[in-house]
Amino acid sequence: MSKINFVLHTFLALFVLGFLLTCTLISHAATPGAPDAEALLKRSDAYRNGWTSFVLHVKITHYESGKQDEEKLYEVSQKGTEKSYVEFLSPREKGQHMLMLADDMWIYLPDTSRPIRITPLERLNGDASNGDVAHTNYAVDYSPVYLRTEKVGADSCYVLELAAKRKGATYQRILYWLRVEDARPMRAEYYLTSGKHIKSATFDEYASVGGKLQLRRWTLYDEIRHNSRSVLEYSGIAPRNLPDKLFYQGRTDRF
Amino acid sequence: MRLATTFSALLFFATSTAVAAQDDQPAAPHHDFRYTLSTIDDATFLSSLSPTLPASAGSLKAPSVTLFQNQLLIEPSFTFRYRSRWSLASSVAGVADSFRGLSAAEFEISPGNAAASAALNAALDPYTGTHMKFRVKEAYAGLSAGDFDFMVGRRIVRWGTGYAFSPAGVLDPPRDPTNPTDRLNLNQGRDMVKADYVHGPHALSLVWSSAALTPAKANLHDTTAFRYNILVHGFDTSLIAGDDRGGDAFGGLTFTRVFGQAWELHSEAAWREQCAVLIGAKYTTSTGVSFVGEFYTPPNTAYYRDSSISPLAGRQHYGLFYVSKSRLRELPGWKQWDLSASVVTNFDDQSYTGIFDATRRFGNHFSSYLHLEVPQSGKTSDYGSAPYSASTSVGVRFQL
Repeated sequence: MSKINFVLHTFLALFVLGFLLTCTLISHAATPGAPDAEALLKRSDAYRNGWTSFVLHVKITHYESGKQDEEKLYEVSQKGTEKSYVEFLSPREKGQHMLMLADDMWIYLPDTSRPIRITPLERLNGDASNGDVAHTNYAVDYSPVYLRTEKVGADSCYVLELAAKRKGATYQRILYWLRVEDARPMRAEYYLTSGKHIKSATFDEYASVGGKLQLRRWTLYDEIRHNSRSVLEYSGIAPRNLPDKLFYQGRTDRF
Repeated sequence: MRLATTFSALLFFATSTAVAAQDDQPAAPHHDFRYTLSTIDDATFLSSLSPTLPASAGSLKAPSVTLFQNQLLIEPSFTFRYRSRWSLASSVAGVADSFRGLSAAEFEISPGNAAASAALNAALDPYTGTHMKFRVKEAYAGLSAGDFDFMVGRRIVRWGTGYAFSPAGVLDPPRDPTNPTDRLNLNQGRDMVKADYVHGPHALSLVWSSAALTPAKANLHDTTAFRYNILVHGFDTSLIAGDDRGGDAFGGLTFTRVFGQAWELHSEAAWREQCAVLIGAKYTTSTGVSFVGEFYTPPNTAYYRDSSISPLAGRQHYGLFYVSKSRLRELPGWKQWDLSASVVTNFDDQSYTGIFDATRRFGNHFSSYLHLEVPQSGKTSDYGSAPYSASTSVGVRFQL
């Protein structure tokens, strides 16, 4: 009898111990269903970088207090994740171009007729910064961490926190909302090194280009001056064989 | 002759390798055309102007007047590119200069002094009435073949990295430290044949530039120059060497490098008889205010010497301090404004010029500006020798 009691007590003790251990493990383990943040970020980048070598046109319309006040046009040529070349097409900026090679960036101004080195802080100038136009491969520039899942409108979204991992990153920290269904970017918040929330973004429209779903329109909101926003519209997206010498900093004989 | 053979050989090699390297991937459009049109109306007031008179009119006492100069500039430019290989580009400027405020009547000339009167009229001619000028800033044809690029024609080339000074920019247009950005876009290129080879991070340029079409007063020679440029560990570095026909051989080294989030460092060292050195830095604050500082020391040789410096003055030392803020977005209603101010100084004679610029944009095509220059120090000093006490320019710019 006492042997049965011993077995029962042992079984009960082991059961209770196992239950407690399971509860502890469940409460301390990673959140169930936590996604692979790196893979998610790479997948989301494909909505803005559909090919390894391509060109696109960007139209940026600035609004101040709800009124349109300026419009700018750019042609962006991108090769791989490290090389971007931006030609400025709007009347006031015609003749200017910008080159980004990994962490290094130059701007060519017609009145100086030579490439000028740009510091990372200068990339932030403008409603839509130089980096917003030329550097859109977040997986290369940032280390992502999954934070939580929450709703943006009717869509369930993963919230990632991106921390800059290289000098070439435009922002120090980004909070990035990606749709659970297809990793499509939905919303973003951009922060400086000081922790200041400088901009927010909504990713408004996608369209199929050559069988690939690509971002067509997104909006940047100035969080310092709340009455200012910039709408970035992409068009003419096409794969293009781009020569390496297009991305050479010493050339000034561009358009 | 030897140089012409070299260029021909390069051209043949480049075109043959380029044909072999073609592939079937989507390439650039069949042709591309870009154009710009800029129209500027610039009104400049030169306060307390004392015009420099020729020796033959030396007995006359120059009056102090306010000279009004209006410049209307029309500057069209275009580039046409065919099959990503051939290109044709041109940039010209038509200038109508009108002057008011200065005439021979301002001078007290005795009726019988015909020589002084003639000399005076000749000296004042550039500052009276209306003059039309036409400038070909650039006009060239280019061929891109594989890793090679060739061009022939007039072209603005800038190899220097300095903002206000550029000792290594052997083919650069003359740099005016009080107007380093050439605010009216009047700089002209040099006539040249140029070959570039770009492969990976390496770039080689070979240039032969002719001085045959340049005015004699420009004091330019036929120049053969070579540059090797490489980006290594963030250093954008160039080695320059060359020779002026009938003049000196020269060599130079330039680099730029960005450090951290806010600092850019640039430097030039050039050797032509003696060494000239430039060291400069740019710092950008988180609010977008940029500061540029430069220190430049050229030798007092014929090539580097400014016309206002005595040949006996020895090595000179210059400094620049520049601060600018593009788009004052932090101030309500000031988003369309750009402001900048700078001081350029000669440390040896302690003369300097203060410069202030303000620009306001209107819509996508129009802008207006104010440019103010105030030279200080004695009339025999480097910057104090400007014949006016202040130069104030206001203007309107239209861009298409």
